[in-house]
Amino acid sequence: MDEFYDAATRLNCQAIRDWQATERPIVGYTCSYTPGEIFHSVDILPVRLKGIETEGMEIGDTYYGPFICSFPKCLLQLAGKEKFMFLDGAIITPGCDGMRRLDECWRKAAEDYKGILPDFFYYFDVPHKSENHGMAWYIEELRILIKKIENHFNVKVTDDNLADAIKVYNQGRRMLQEIESLRYRDDVVVSGTDIFAATVAGTVMQREAYNQALRRWLEELKNRTTSLSAGKKRLMLIGSISDEIELFRMLEENNDAIVVGENLCFGIRHEGNEIDEHGDPVEALGRHYLQSSVCPRMYGKYKERLALLKQKLDAARVDGVVMQNIRFCDLHGAENSLFERDLEAMGMPCLKLEREYGPMIDVGRMKLRINAFLERLRV
Amino acid sequence: MRPEILEYNYDRLMGGTLTAAAKFPVGFQKETDFAFNYIPYFRGALKTMIDAGPTGKRFIKLLASYYENILTARDQGKMIVGTTFCNTPAILYAMDLVPATFEILTALGCMVWRRGMFDYMDYAVESGMPETACSAQRGFLGAFLAGLFENIDFLVCDTPGVCDTNANAFAFSSAYLDKPFYQLNYPSAIGDDRSQKYHIDDYREMIRFIETHSGKKLDYDRLAQALAEINRQDAITADIEDMLLMVPTPIPPIFNVMIYAGRFCFAGHPEYTELLEVMLEDVTRRMNNGVPGLKCGEEKLRIFMCYIDHYTVDMNFYEYLEERGIAHTGSILTRNFRDGNKYVRDLPDNAYHVDTSSPDAMFETLAQMNARMPMVRSIRGPYDRHGMWLEESLACARMYQADCVIYNGTPGCRNTWGMLKPFARDVEKQGFPVHIMNDDGFDDRVESWDATKERLDEFFHVRGLL
Repeated sequence: MDEFYDAATRLNCQAIRDWQATERPIVGYTCSYTPGEIFHSVDILPVRLKGIETEGMEIGDTYYGPFICSFPKCLLQLAGKEKFMFLDGAIITPGCDGMRRLDECWRKAAEDYKGILPDFFYYFDVPHKSENHGMAWYIEELRILIKKIENHFNVKVTDDNLADAIKVYNQGRRMLQEIESLRYRDDVVVSGTDIFAATVAGTVMQREAYNQALRRWLEELKNRTTSLSAGKKRLMLIGSISDEIELFRMLEENNDAIVVGENLCFGIRHEGNEIDEHGDPVEALGRHYLQSSVCPRMYGKYKERLALLKQKLDAARVDGVVMQNIRFCDLHGAENSLFERDLEAMGMPCLKLEREYGPMIDVGRMKLRINAFLERLRV
Repeated sequence: MRPEILEYNYDRLMGGTLTAAAKFPVGFQKETDFAFNYIPYFRGALKTMIDAGPTGKRFIKLLASYYENILTARDQGKMIVGTTFCNTPAILYAMDLVPATFEILTALGCMVWRRGMFDYMDYAVESGMPETACSAQRGFLGAFLAGLFENIDFLVCDTPGVCDTNANAFAFSSAYLDKPFYQLNYPSAIGDDRSQKYHIDDYREMIRFIETHSGKKLDYDRLAQALAEINRQDAITADIEDMLLMVPTPIPPIFNVMIYAGRFCFAGHPEYTELLEVMLEDVTRRMNNGVPGLKCGEEKLRIFMCYIDHYTVDMNFYEYLEERGIAHTGSILTRNFRDGNKYVRDLPDNAYHVDTSSPDAMFETLAQMNARMPMVRSIRGPYDRHGMWLEESLACARMYQADCVIYNGTPGCRNTWGMLKPFARDVEKQGFPVHIMNDDGFDDRVESWDATKERLDEFFHVRGLL
C-alpha cells in the first residue's frame, strides 16, 4: 500500500522520480477522456495532473476569474510554482469550461513565470457526444494526437504496440474490477480510502509496475478475513473531480461508515469495461473512452448515468450516497440534484455537499453534515 | 417561491404586459407622461423604448408578437421548442414551430419588471440548478420548472463545446421534466474543413431529431423563404452598421439590443425585417439631418462591449450611456457575421455565406450560419486562436473606433471568466483600456446597478476617458 499512497498523495513521488531517472518523457493530462495507452505504447509516462499539495492560490486567482472551480486553479497554481517541472508535455481537454481554460491560463502565466510551460502543450478536442459523427471526430482527434506525439517525441505509435498497451491496461482493469467486487460482500475487508488511493496511484505509476503492485495487493486482500464493515453504514461517494484521499478518510474515520463505492473520475468508474483487444486499437480506445458516458459533460445522457449508478449502488448494497460538488462545478451540481431527486424516490438516502477542492478547509462543516446524515441512516 | 408568484403564469403576465405596452398611447408629451402614471412598474423600460422613437415602438410590437406566438401556439396546433439565443430560430419557423428562447424570456422579465426575475431564478435553484449557474437561463427556467409557462414539447440547444452552463440548463430541463433533447456540439476551431463538415453532420442529425419529435418534414420551399428573408435582414443590418462607423454615429445605444434581440426572436421572419426597415429609415433620417444617436447631442466616448450588455431593471444601462454621452458600438451579440460585411474582412472563417441554389446549399447555409451565431462563433476555442474572441473583439473595436473595451457578463459564465483576465491583458496590450464589470447582467442582487454605475464612472475617470 505504501507505494500507492506515495503515488496518490505526493506530486514528486517515487514512481515519477524512478521514471525521470530513465530520462524518458512524462506527459501530464487533465481529464479521464485522455487514453493513457497511447503514451504507454511509446514509453512515455502518462500522469494525470492532481491538485494536491497546493499551498496558496495567488497564481491560480491571478489568471483565472473568481467564479471558477478551485481544482483547475490548483493545477495552475502548482504549474506556476514549478511543481510540474517534471513534465515534458501536457494535454488540456475541454472536460468542462473551467478545465479547458487551463490552456490559456497556463500559457499566459508562462509569459510571467518563465519555463513553466512544457515543450509539448496540446489541446485535445473531445466532443460532447459519442454517436456517429461525435465518435468519428474523437477517433480522428486520437489519430491527430498520435501524429503530434510521434512528431514531437520522435517515436512511432504502431497498431501492435498500441494493442500491447491496451492489454497491459486491461490487466490492471481486471484486477481493479476484482478489488471492486470485494466491496460487494457482506464483510468488506478493505477500506474505501485504500482502494481510492490504489486507483489514483494508477493514474501516476508506470503501468506494468502498477499491475505488479496491484497483483500483490489483491492476493493479500483475498487472504484478509477481518471485516471492516461490521455494524457500519455502507456509503458511496460521487460527484465532482477529486483526487483527495483525505475526503475518503474523513468519511471513514467516523467509525460508523465505510465507503463501498465511488463514482469519481479519478476512481474506478472508467474501469468498468475492458477495452476491446481485437480490431483497430485506436477505434477501440475511442469506443471505450468516449462511450462510457460517465461524466455529465456528455449532455443528454442522464438516464444512462442514473442506471449505471443504480447498478453500482445495488451491487455494493449501499445505505446512503454522499454527493459532493466543488463550488462552481455546475455540471455535477445540477446532476447531483437530479440524482438526489430520483434516488430518494427509490428509497436511497442522499446527502448533497457543496465544497471547495483542496486542503479540506471546511472539514468541520462537512463532518457535521456527514454525522447528521449517518444519524439519518441509523434511524 | 412566494405563493402569490405561483398564482400567475409567467407567460401570461409577460404576454399581457407587452401586448398592453404595444398599444400604449403615444400622443403629446403631456398625454404620454400622464399615461405612464398608470404603469409604475414598467414605466422605466417602456419610456426608454418609447423615447427611442418609431424603432422603439416597433420593437415593443415585435416582443409582443413573440409572446403572442407562444401563447397561441396550442390553438394553432403548433409545437413549442425550448432553445437558446445562439441557435437561430429560422429553422424552427421554417418548420412551423414556435421557439421559446430561454435567455430572451429571462432578459425581458429582467428589463420589464421592477422585481426582476429574482423569484424565478431562486425557484430554479430550489429545483436543483446550482445557484452558480448562469442567470440568463436560470430566470426563465424557474418559471418553466414551476409550471408557469406553456408546455415546451422538446429542447434543442447548441452550446456544448461553447458554454457548459448554458448547455447544462437545457440538459437539466430535459432530465427534470423528461423532455426530448438534442444538443448541437461544436469543435474548438472554426473555418477548417473538418469543423465545417462537423457542423453539417451535426445539423443534419438535429433536423432528423426535430422531424421525429414534431412529426413535420423540413419544407425546403419554406426554408428558401426564410433564407430570402435573412438575406433582406442581413442587407439592412449591414446598412445600419455602416452608419455606426460614423463619428458621431446617428445610432442610439439602445438600437444595439434591438438589432440582436430581434434577430434572436425572429431571424428569417418578416417581423424582424419590419423592425430593421423602421430602424434603417430612422437612422438614415438622423444621419441626413445631422442628428446624433445620443440624446445629449454630444458623443464623448465610444465603447465596444466584448461580451454582453446589462439587462436589469428599467434598461438602466442604455439610459446611463445616453446620460454620459457614450456611443455603443456593439457587443459579441450584435454582428451577424455574414460574408461581405466590413468587419469580417480579416476574419473570413468567422463568416457564413447564403446560398439558396439547391436544398443542400440551403441546408449547408443554415448549418454554417448557426455555427457563426454569438458565442458559438468565437468562444468555442482558446481565446487567442485564429478567429476566436481576441481577434474578433480587436477587429470590431478597431473597425468601429472604440475608445475602450468593456466586459459584462454573469458570474455563471464559467467560460469567459475562465479566460477573461489574460484576455483583458492582451486587449490592453493592443492599446484599448479594458473594464471588467463585476455585476450580473440579469440579476441586480449580485451588484446593485448603482454600484455598477459607480465602477463604470471610476473606470472612465481613472483612465482619462471621460
